[in-house]
Amino acid sequence: MSSVSRILATPQGVVFLTALLFALVLSLLNPAFFTPATLIDLLRNSLVTGIFALGVMMVLASGGIDVSCTAIGAFAMYATMKIILGIDFDMPIIGYFLLSAAIGAGLGLLNGILIGGLGLPTLIVTLGTLSLYRGALLTFLGTTYITAVPRKVITFARSVLVRMENAVGQMVSLPYSFLVLLFVAIGVAVLMNFTMFGRKIYAIGGSEEAAARIGIRIRRVKVLIYVIAGAIAGLAGMTHLTLSRMANPFDLVGMELNVIAAVVLGGARITGGHGTVVGTLLGVFVITMINTTLLMAGVPSYWQKFVIGCLIVVGTGLPILIDRFARHRERISRPIGA
Amino acid sequence: MVRLEAMVANGTRKQSINNKEDDMKFDFKKLALGVALGFTLLGGAAAVAQDAKHEIVTVVKLSGIAWFNRMEAGVAEYAEETGNNATQVGPASADAALQVQMIEDLIARNVNAITVVPNSPEALEPVLAKALEAGIKVVGHEASSLENVTYDVEAFDNAAYGVHLMEALAQDMGGEGEYAVFVGHLTAKTHNEWVDAAIAYQKEKYPKMTLVGGKIESNEQQQTAYQKTKELLRTYPNLKGIQGSAGEDVVGAALAVEEAGLTGKVTIVGTSLVSVAGPYLETGEIKMISFWDPAKAGIAMNKVAAMAIEGKEVTDGMDLGVEGYNSVKLDGKVIYGQAWVDVTKDNMDEYDF
Amino acid sequence: MATSQDNEGRVLEMRSIRKAYGPVRVLENVDLTLDRGEVRCLAGENGSGKSTLIKILSGVVTADAGSVSFAGRTLGADPVAAIDAGLSVIYQDFSLFPNLTVWENISFLSAVNRGDFVHRRLSRRGRAIETLKRMQVEIDPDMPVELLPVASKQLVAIARALANDARVIVMDEPTTALTRSEVAHLMEIVGALKKDGVAFLFVSHKIEEVFAVCDSITVLRDGRVVVEGPIGEFDSARLVEAMTGRSIDSQRLPREDMAEQTPFLVARGLGRRGEYADVDLELRPGEIVSVVGLLGSGRTELALSLFGYLAPDAGVLEVAGRPVSFRGQNDAMDAGIAYVPEDRLTEGLFLSQPIRDNIVVSTLDKNTRGFAINAKGLTQRAAAAVKRLRIKTPGVMPAVATLSGGNQQRVVLARWMERSPKLMILNGPTVGVDVGSKREIHELLVSLSRSGTAVMVVTDDISEAIALSDRILVMVRGRITGSFDARSVDEETLYEEVIKEDRA
Repeated sequence: MSSVSRILATPQGVVFLTALLFALVLSLLNPAFFTPATLIDLLRNSLVTGIFALGVMMVLASGGIDVSCTAIGAFAMYATMKIILGIDFDMPIIGYFLLSAAIGAGLGLLNGILIGGLGLPTLIVTLGTLSLYRGALLTFLGTTYITAVPRKVITFARSVLVRMENAVGQMVSLPYSFLVLLFVAIGVAVLMNFTMFGRKIYAIGGSEEAAARIGIRIRRVKVLIYVIAGAIAGLAGMTHLTLSRMANPFDLVGMELNVIAAVVLGGARITGGHGTVVGTLLGVFVITMINTTLLMAGVPSYWQKFVIGCLIVVGTGLPILIDRFARHRERISRPIGA
Repeated sequence: MVRLEAMVANGTRKQSINNKEDDMKFDFKKLALGVALGFTLLGGAAAVAQDAKHEIVTVVKLSGIAWFNRMEAGVAEYAEETGNNATQVGPASADAALQVQMIEDLIARNVNAITVVPNSPEALEPVLAKALEAGIKVVGHEASSLENVTYDVEAFDNAAYGVHLMEALAQDMGGEGEYAVFVGHLTAKTHNEWVDAAIAYQKEKYPKMTLVGGKIESNEQQQTAYQKTKELLRTYPNLKGIQGSAGEDVVGAALAVEEAGLTGKVTIVGTSLVSVAGPYLETGEIKMISFWDPAKAGIAMNKVAAMAIEGKEVTDGMDLGVEGYNSVKLDGKVIYGQAWVDVTKDNMDEYDF
Repeated sequence: MATSQDNEGRVLEMRSIRKAYGPVRVLENVDLTLDRGEVRCLAGENGSGKSTLIKILSGVVTADAGSVSFAGRTLGADPVAAIDAGLSVIYQDFSLFPNLTVWENISFLSAVNRGDFVHRRLSRRGRAIETLKRMQVEIDPDMPVELLPVASKQLVAIARALANDARVIVMDEPTTALTRSEVAHLMEIVGALKKDGVAFLFVSHKIEEVFAVCDSITVLRDGRVVVEGPIGEFDSARLVEAMTGRSIDSQRLPREDMAEQTPFLVARGLGRRGEYADVDLELRPGEIVSVVGLLGSGRTELALSLFGYLAPDAGVLEVAGRPVSFRGQNDAMDAGIAYVPEDRLTEGLFLSQPIRDNIVVSTLDKNTRGFAINAKGLTQRAAAAVKRLRIKTPGVMPAVATLSGGNQQRVVLARWMERSPKLMILNGPTVGVDVGSKREIHELLVSLSRSGTAVMVVTDDISEAIALSDRILVMVRGRITGSFDARSVDEETLYEEVIKEDRA
């Protein structure tokens, strides 16, 4: 295999090359593209998708899928805002995030019980709970925008880690909520790579039967996965709230396919057993870049979907085709008669 | 317009209370007692109920949301002022079929007039025709296409509203510079009428202003408006003004402007509500928002209905005696006011929806 | 060996194990013991109860009666406790994690067993490398297991057991997929570990290996231990006789002899790279030909090639005297060839659909006029098929899932017979079917063949081949190595032929 086809043989390779190509074309069109300001802007736009994606990556690594994450995020952030405005209790902003994560974990627990405990199919369950959580949010919590968010949220949203001028003299900034992404990324990386729990997730994703045979308590692991993914979704929801400075119950739901696309492009497989934090973040970055740069080029949003769709099909399909072709060639190269 | 109301929807607590009232009314629908009871619960205007001259019922899209609560206050105000038996009902979910049912009941009760804000004008045509046949006067709102009505009251003419917003934008921009316009969807009829009229007006009156980026779609989402505004600012660093159409447009644009450190350098005006755009009005990213007051629309509808019952005609240029409807334009059966309300930092405290 | 006074060296003791699934008795009073450093062979044909016994041993399945104890400690049905007591089962599929590296696979079992919280990469990797070294095998510890050849996977599975200080290792058909030199290497390793006191339970029916490595043998047949003892008491003839016995299905079915007809399908020098080669084959109307071979011998690939599903790389195929080249199974079906797949549950049947629909699904056009399907005609046809094939069901409308395995298999047969095929290829027609049904399915196939259909059966069940066939072809490592007249061949001869793979 040539080095190019070796790169193209993995989804990350395809994604990485596409990203490179995109960046190249863009920098030709607009020399201002390769600036720290652009990078910061991309990072800022990747935050919410990135946090969601890390939770979904865990689920995918275990061989499951979670399409309900965005509904959990929306529910958690809106409920958090309602509670905080309702009880009028003064707590630091980190408390907001913790509360949102706790609500998310609770909703994730329901996913976990249905999937791990009762052994129901993961896609069906999360499709169901996506609708369930969203319906519950709009029915029982409300449909109003909450724009009168506490001062603390606005202050937090305005505090930035990095702030700089872009080529045309406007400010771009990386808000403090970047730390949430950083925290989740490090947390998930440690969990997946340095705890037995994380390794069990990969094991279950690799072969559930084999995992059961060596005594891994699959139910327990699965329930915990969805609880953690729920908590991460809660953090993503709260991050979204601070970025948009309002609680809009209609937000977030609809992003889930984008999130899953990012995770898959980042090398996780729908069939389970694979997925890394770095790959996932790369996938998120590429998706955000495509969305933003196409927007920049004035391409209608339908085209962004088209391009991402192509990327998913090529990114996941090409490695399989290359593998199949390699197998075929390998068989052909063997002598007749085995 | 529909979107604007959905934005102010207010949770279910209130809705379920109204729901109970509706049930009660259905149970006693032909009994004066029932009417009075329902009325007591609804409007708190029972004092004027007994010697009512006309019975006018307003059927709204959805009960319990802030927008129609506001309208209900207007209806109640009208009832108190005139002594007419004016009330408002609405289904617990925005469903045309439920509205049809309510109107059927009103026909059976033989009220004098029905004023209606339809969920789907087409779906109501047959039952409204039946009402007209039964001698009941029908007045519509937000439904200029309705056929089976005595009159239809619109807060304003879409083109005039668009011109009004552009005037405000141009004034603040000093009549020159680049500006951009948002619509919720490129297919949204109302938004496009506003924006088209605004652009035409700008070309004629403010030739030094230039539209950039064409009509930009926000999908009625704050996030999209935010993203697109960021890209607009990057592509057109000299952008001076933004006109929004959906209630979310100005909010998303304002966030992008604030983050880019351009507060005060970009003028933002558009349609929105105080409950949505309030924080940015306060901090100054949004210059002005406009909407129409449902309370005033409710009063105007009831006044037109009462005139129809009394056999009086509405004429072009007439004063309905309601703010914003002082010199109405008559186009066939459709009555247009100039009933937009402009809200800036200074008067935002007057509106709680 | 069957006594328990020698408790010092005894690592495993199974006593009076009984198990029944519904009315079917799978195990009846089975005793099995293992001493330190002993290598015991558990022999028996398919369906003799071997796998159930192993499942009970590993705690996955609960026995109805009897006890399992490791080193004197009696355990209930708890897989984790069994692992903890030092048992490791190496399944035929190895149960490794394909996505993880070699070293992680090796260390996983012990890490789980100890209930570690932290994943200690360095020490675990070191220990895995040490284990591989102890086994004297060279495998890159950082390679993902999915990229390893089969033989290396087998070794990784053993290493995993050792890394968890396994004292009893059960190996289920460990050599099926290995080459001769790989088997030899495996045997060396087993021999070395045996000296360290590890006991092995070898599930195998490859006579050569059994004699090469085992110290003692337990033979199961129809759920009972028919014979047990040290290896010295056996020779290969006795072992084969013990395994096959004289059971109902090994008796040849009576049939009338048919005059030899011109072949319907002829293959000359057929080959597919890496799978089979030089296959000459003639399939005639009125004749049943069995292709007998072990898993991986190329038998399934050959069958799929005749059905147009795989394309041969070499040789010619003639149907009814004309050379053909199938582009897909539809071409083969049009030529009158039917194929009943190995796994009827996943490949053949719509389990939740009625029996009727399953039977007539591929022949709807028979009852179609214009665009309209005559439902009554379908029902009648299905009812006739149910009667003809003696499918035990109250009607044709219950879902196929409600039927027993044997009856489900008949539904598959019925479907293909509705097409009146000229050649019917069956892959493992009685896998998972009880003895009585097996016999009836065989009878059905015989009568199908006598009515003028060519029948080819692919199987690894020797007694089935003898009971059913007119002619038996033995396939070893991708080649037809022998052809026998089913009337005169005996099981022992055939058995020797099938397993002689490395002499080929």
